[in-house]
Parts: sequence; structure tokens; C-alpha cells
Amino acid sequence: MGRFINAQTVILLGCSLFVLYLAGIPLVMLLYGSVRSAPIGEPGAAYTIQNYIKAYFDREFYLLFWNSIKYALGTCLVSFAIGTFLAWVNERTNTPFKKLFLVMALIPFIIPGILSTIAWILLLSPKIGLINLVVKNALGLESAPFNIYSMGGMIWAEAIHLYPLVFLLMSASFRNMDTSLEEAALTAGSSTFTTLRRVTLPLMRPAMFGVLLVMFVRGIEAFEVPALVGVPAKISVFTTKIFLAIHQFPSDFGLAGAYAVTLLIISGAGVLIYQRVTKRTERFATVTGKGYRPRVIDLGPWKWVTCFIAFLIFLLAVIMPVFILLWSSFIPFYGIPSRELLAKVTLANYHYVLTYPLALTAFKNSFLLSVGSATLVMLLTSVIAWITVKSKIPGGVFLDNLAFIPIAMPGIVLGVSLIWVYLTLPIPIYGTIWVLLLAYITKFMPYGIRSSSATMIQINKELEEASMTSGGTWFQTFRKIILPLLMPGFVAGWIYISIISLRELSTSILLYSYNSTVLSIMAFDLWEGGQYTYVCALGVLMVLLLVAMAVVARKLGARIGIAE
Amino acid sequence: MAEKNFMVRIQNLEKFFGEDRERVHVLKGVSLDIPEGSLYTFLGPSGCGKTTTLRCVAGLERPDIGSISIGGKTVFSAAERVYVPTNRRPIGMVFQSYAIWPHMTVFENVAYPLTIQHVNKADIKKRVGEVLKIVGLQGLEDRPAPKLSGGQQQRVAFARALVNEPKVMLLDEPLSNLDAKLREQMRFEIKALQRRVNITTIYVTHDQGEALAISDQIAVMHAGKLIEVGNPHQLYSRPKRRFTATFLGLTNLIPGKVVELGGDSKPGRLETSKGVFAFIPAAGLHAGGAAVLSIRPEHIEVMKQKPQVSENVLEGTVKEAIFMGDAYHCQIAVGDTLLRVHTHPFLTMNPGDKVYLHLDPQSCNGLPAEDTEGMDESALGA
Repeated sequence: MGRFINAQTVILLGCSLFVLYLAGIPLVMLLYGSVRSAPIGEPGAAYTIQNYIKAYFDREFYLLFWNSIKYALGTCLVSFAIGTFLAWVNERTNTPFKKLFLVMALIPFIIPGILSTIAWILLLSPKIGLINLVVKNALGLESAPFNIYSMGGMIWAEAIHLYPLVFLLMSASFRNMDTSLEEAALTAGSSTFTTLRRVTLPLMRPAMFGVLLVMFVRGIEAFEVPALVGVPAKISVFTTKIFLAIHQFPSDFGLAGAYAVTLLIISGAGVLIYQRVTKRTERFATVTGKGYRPRVIDLGPWKWVTCFIAFLIFLLAVIMPVFILLWSSFIPFYGIPSRELLAKVTLANYHYVLTYPLALTAFKNSFLLSVGSATLVMLLTSVIAWITVKSKIPGGVFLDNLAFIPIAMPGIVLGVSLIWVYLTLPIPIYGTIWVLLLAYITKFMPYGIRSSSATMIQINKELEEASMTSGGTWFQTFRKIILPLLMPGFVAGWIYISIISLRELSTSILLYSYNSTVLSIMAFDLWEGGQYTYVCALGVLMVLLLVAMAVVARKLGARIGIAE
Repeated sequence: MAEKNFMVRIQNLEKFFGEDRERVHVLKGVSLDIPEGSLYTFLGPSGCGKTTTLRCVAGLERPDIGSISIGGKTVFSAAERVYVPTNRRPIGMVFQSYAIWPHMTVFENVAYPLTIQHVNKADIKKRVGEVLKIVGLQGLEDRPAPKLSGGQQQRVAFARALVNEPKVMLLDEPLSNLDAKLREQMRFEIKALQRRVNITTIYVTHDQGEALAISDQIAVMHAGKLIEVGNPHQLYSRPKRRFTATFLGLTNLIPGKVVELGGDSKPGRLETSKGVFAFIPAAGLHAGGAAVLSIRPEHIEVMKQKPQVSENVLEGTVKEAIFMGDAYHCQIAVGDTLLRVHTHPFLTMNPGDKVYLHLDPQSCNGLPAEDTEGMDESALGA
């Protein structure tokens, strides 16, 4: 009888309340903060709509709004086109070198956004951009043909960073499609192209619409490219406007709050529509994929065309950015590749970065935050997933939705909210690494809950009941049966979260202090200081750290869970 | 009867699933007493509440009304607000899917109930060795669970349920995932195992053949209610309820009206559209009331010549005769009624043959007419 306090009650109630705290409080405080005339603690604070008036009646507001939408839409369309093309080539055609494409398509995934942005500046800047210089010399042009510091340049840099997500989502829907529907069209006498147009594409329309929405939300909440490219180019979007409102002196928290609420409404609407179009069950469809092999289309001689296009994409999206980062990390001062510079290749940048006063702190903080947030998120969401999937405890659906809220919160909005939360609540963690840990847990909880629920659904209820009838308590059952069986999903989720938390910038940049600096912030600062070669060396080290962590996690996970 | 002879007592169990308008009444006052050391079967079609009753005994479901005791100790009582959680009930359970944990070896699976109670390693090893020997799996200790065959998985499940020396073993359709041949073989093994260990066992199944083969006692359930309890022989040859007669094995039903009940060794008389029959009345019938006559196909004697006796004899035509090896399964038309009859294979039967049927009065059971609650008997396929 649950009359006395036992481990089960404590853990279940504790985790539920923690989720409520993580997801609910920032929302409430953000709304509250946006209608206050001064930050809490300062005398004379009162309720006001002044922040909203200041935000909306600014002459530049409509330009800002228009820029944000244009940027998000552009990013969404370009990344969708690239990602879908690659997914189609990889899943449904007989294009040569498909296996290689799969690896190549996923490489940008592991490169932090700030690094890929820097790489594109180094490639497309009118003054120092490698591509510009090469093309200018080759064609004898007067001025640089490309300019990263434009809306088009920004969209390009962001889209190249985001397309792997499209690739993964679209591959899954290509894979999960019942190919007998297509075969039925073929046997009914329609050609391959007609089948594609009349059957395949209409069937995939909901999935495609869902992916477009996801990419739109990703575009509207993007921070790295707007901050590094948009700010110097004087192209403002919501995220940079919020950032500048806080980074100006004196900070205008109220104005930042008003912009943040606006941004939250836009991305929240996107997420809501997304959830409408992809029903709850389909959220898990990618994991439970059916056993049949998709029909591969024989492209004939056209397969060399698709192959060529794919290679061109990889040359642009993977090889050139990776090359420029590696190259710049080994040279003493920034310059385009030449024989003289090749002779000067050095490890000095690495040496500098590793002996940089804050480097050790940043490495330590990033590592701890990444491992800590990934582990805590996965443990927390494992319990939450148990409640929502397995238990008959009322309110499970509510908890599931609650844990999903932060997906609609752009990083910069979460940052603003948490400033309000920890300036207001008597919890003395503002400016410490703990506030970053809570921020990361909040931000990545939706990814965790997704991965945990998907795996939890696949665990037969009887496996758990067998432990209870064997005399196991709830806690023993959870630790010895559920967690090991969850391990494959746990490890996958863990790797993903540790990667994205190690490269997190948009939330951290509002919450860090000197002692809680992280690697992405350090890269941002080095870049702002114009130390390009050092940033590249730091970036290469970050990527190596990420790869090492993923490998170790996989090894450990295989030992604890089911070895396959 | 002395109470201590009953290992499990279930009293007036009621259970609802769902909420508000979607509430379903799945158990409607089930009361059962399960004798110590017996193999007791809950039998019924799917949705009858048999598995729910078993899960209530295990504590995996919580009834809304009623009480359950195991070994004289109350583990659930709605009135006294007692609910002992599953892990503190003296039970072992074998699940329909076996629920063998795929991340453990055979040894780890079987040892689990002991390891979580922190029994010392040497004792665990000894005890696991013993049970694995009982179920015939010695030597497979280190085999990972996913590398076991269906039959082996089931043995592991039995070993795990037994290792703790529980007072009651609960089996939830343990044979339904095996192929037909293995199922046949495992019936005998379960029966033998239960006798050897002499443990009170509750066995849930929807397969009447299985229930007849292995049970000491069978509780027939339907639509959340207990229909009838008895040993396999009683239930088959002298059912008290119409549902039991139709669900256990094949039977022919002829509706009619009781003329006289008879008594002592004298059979009663039942008037039907096919004439008046001598029969053995079940409890609850009264003279002048409606009843239904039930007779099994193998209890109808078929003759090609008109017999001497005239009592309980019908005249009919063979409609269909299927040769089954050990018998002919025939459909014989008597007026507008088709009777199912099994005959000896030596008596060649062809469609169109005229035959005489003798319904042995000792095998003619008169049952209350109304107790199937609008159920479609043909859908039972029994």
C-alpha cells in the first residue's frame, strides 16, 4: 500500500516535479519578466506593457520580423532540397558510392554550428574567403563573386549546417514507405516518373510537411550564423536582437523578454502544427521501421548524374569546410593555401589553445556539462517514459507533453527565461556551472523523452511483471530489468545529447560567467578577438573530443545492455 | 471443510477496467477456493476474466471489490483496505510470453528471485542447480537467454517461478506460444512437474483439451462470471450448465420441456419436438419448466437396423460423413435438426444412408435452458 514513503513514490514524484520545474518555471518567468518595468530586486519594478510597445513600435521591428521569416524560410527550403535529394539518392536509387554518401551526409552533424559558420566565413568572405579568391583569380574578376555577409550567404551557411537532419528524417520516411503501393502503380501501367509524381510524393506529403516545419523552427531559432555573419552584415533576426538587448549596456531584460515571447510564439506555433500533422504514433515510426527493403529505382545512365551532384554537394558541404578548418588550424597566420604557407605548418595554434588561461576550465566545464546533462537527461526521461508508457498513473499524457515543451523554446529564449528565473528565485546558482547544467537538461529533455519512450514501448510489459512476481521491488525492477533493456535507446540518446550539449552556444552565451565558460563560448570569444587560427585549432579538438565520447559510450553501452 | 486445506481463497471479486463511460465490468463477483497441492485451471473463452482473476491473485491487477488470501494470509481485501504488492506475495509466475530477460543468461534469469533478496552466492548456485535439474536444463546455465528455443525458454520460466519455493505457481496460458507437437508434450511435463514438486498451481487457458488433460479441478468462466467448478470427468460427462457442455468438447442440444424429473435411479422425462426422452436432470430444473437436452456425439449409438428398444431412438438420414481415421464424424438429419454423431470406423457411412440413433439415457443431460446470456454458441467452435 502506498501509505508510507518508499523508493518508488519518491522517485516517481521527484522526477515528475523536476520536469514540471524545468519546463514550467522558465515559461512562467519569461512571461512575467516581459511585463515588468525592471528586473526583480531593483526598486520600483511594476507591471507594464512598455516592453511590448517598445518592441513592436520600433521602426525596425517589421524589418526584423521580415528578415527572420525570410531567413527561416530560406534555410528551410535549401536544407530540405539538399537533404531530401541525398536521402532519395541513398535510399531509393542505384547511384554508385551510396555507402560513402551515408557517412558523408552525417559528418556535418558532428561539427558544432559555430565552427561551420566560421568555416563558411573563411570560404565566402569577400576579402579573405578562399572560394572568392580562387574564383576571382581564375576568372580575372574585379570583385569577389560571393558575399557571405548577405541574406543569401547566411541562408547558405545555415542550410549546409542543418541538412543532415533533413537527410535523417527523410531517409526514415523513404524507408518506412510501403513499396507495394508503388508496385501497384507500376503494375497498373504507370511509368517510374509518373509513379513518383502520382503515388510516391503524395504519400510522403505529410512527412515532407512535417520536416519543413521542423526546419523552419530550426531556422527561426538559429543563433550562430546570425550572430557571426548577420551582426557584422547588419542583418538582424529575433535571436540576435534578443542577444544584443542583453549584451548592450545597460542590459534591457524587459525588451529581450518581449522579443523572446514573440519568438516563442512563432516557434511554438510551428511545433504545434508539426504535432498535428504527425500524429503521436508516427513520432515513433522511425524506430519501429518495418522489415521490408525499399524498392530501388534503376536510374540507368542518370545514376552518374545523381552521383556527380551528390559529390558536388559533399565537396561544398563537407570537404571544403573541413579542409579550411584543418588547414587554418595548422598555419601560423590566416592565409590562402600556398607553397610558402605549407612550409610554415605548425602545431603552435594547438599549443596556444591548450595553454590559453581559460582553456582548461572550458574543456573541463564542457566535458562535465556534456556528460552530466546527457546522463541526467537520459535517467530522468527513462523514469518519465516509464510513467507515461508503462504505468497507469493518471496524468501521464500531461507529463509527456510537459517534457516536450522545451522543444519549442529557442536556445536564446531559454537563456532569457533562466536569467529571470535565477535572478528571482532564491536559488544561488546564477552565474555558476549549475545554471548551465539545468539549462542543458531543460533544453535536451525533449530529445531524451523521445528516445526513451520509443525504446520503452518496445519492452514487453511481462518482462517487468516477471520481476515483480519474482519478488523484485519497483526500484530493483527498474534498475535490473528496465534500465538494461533500455540501454540501446539510452546510449543512442546519450550520444546525441552529449554531442549537442558540447556544441551548445545560444543558451550558454546568456548564462555563462568567467568560471563557467565552455568551449563554444571560448570559440566565440576567440573569433570575436580575430584569432581565426586559434578558433580552428580549438574546433578540431572539440570534434575529436566528440568522436572519442561517442566511441566510449557505444563500447560501455554494449557491455551493460544487450550485446548484439 | 477446514480452511487451511485451501491454499488460495478468492471471495466475491469484482473488477472494472477503464473510466467513466468506457468502464467495463470484467469480473462480476468471482469466488473460488483452491485446494492445497492441486492443479487448478481457469478455463473460458478470451475476455471471460480468467487472466484478470489470475493477475489479481498475483497482485498485478487490483480488484475493486472482494478479497484474496494465499496460505491463510489476506493479500487483498477491499473492505479492510489491504493490498500486498506483487513482490511480497508468495508466488511464482510463468507468463504467456515467458518474459525471459534477454540481457541475462539462463543462470541469471533463474537466480534473479534469490539475488534480489541477497541470498548468499553458494546457496543461490546450489538452489538454481536443483531447479534447473527439475526442469531438465542442467548444463545450460551460461547460455544467453536469446539463444534458447521456445521450449527451453519455457523451462527457464518454470525454473524461475519455482526457485523461490513459492506457495502458489501461476501459469498464464504457458503453452499458447508453442507449436502443436511441443504443446502436446509439454502438457504431460507440466503435469508431471507439478506432481513432483507438489505445488499449488493455477493454470489459465482457453484450450479445453489442455484443461481436460492436465487439471485436477477446472473452473469454467464466462463473461466475468464463474459458471461451474468440477474435475475434468464431471464437467465433461455430467455438466451442470449449458455453457460448460458446449464449451468443453462437442455436444448436441435439443430444447424441450420437463415432463417429470424422476429421482433415485429413475431417469426423468423430457418432451421435445423429436419426441419424449429419458434423461438425467441437472440441479435447478423443475417439472413443467424449459430445459435443454445435451448429448455428446460419441454417446449416440448409430444402427442401420431398427433396434428392439423404442425409448430414446430417432430415425435419421446421413447428410455428411467424414472419415477421421479413428472414427467417422457424421452429420445426421433428424427432421429439420442436424445432429453430430461420431461412429466406429468399421461401420461404413455414406451420405443418404437411413440410420437409427440411440441416445443412451445415462448420457442425456438435461440442463437449464437459459444461462448463456445471449451468447452465440456456434461462435464457440467447441
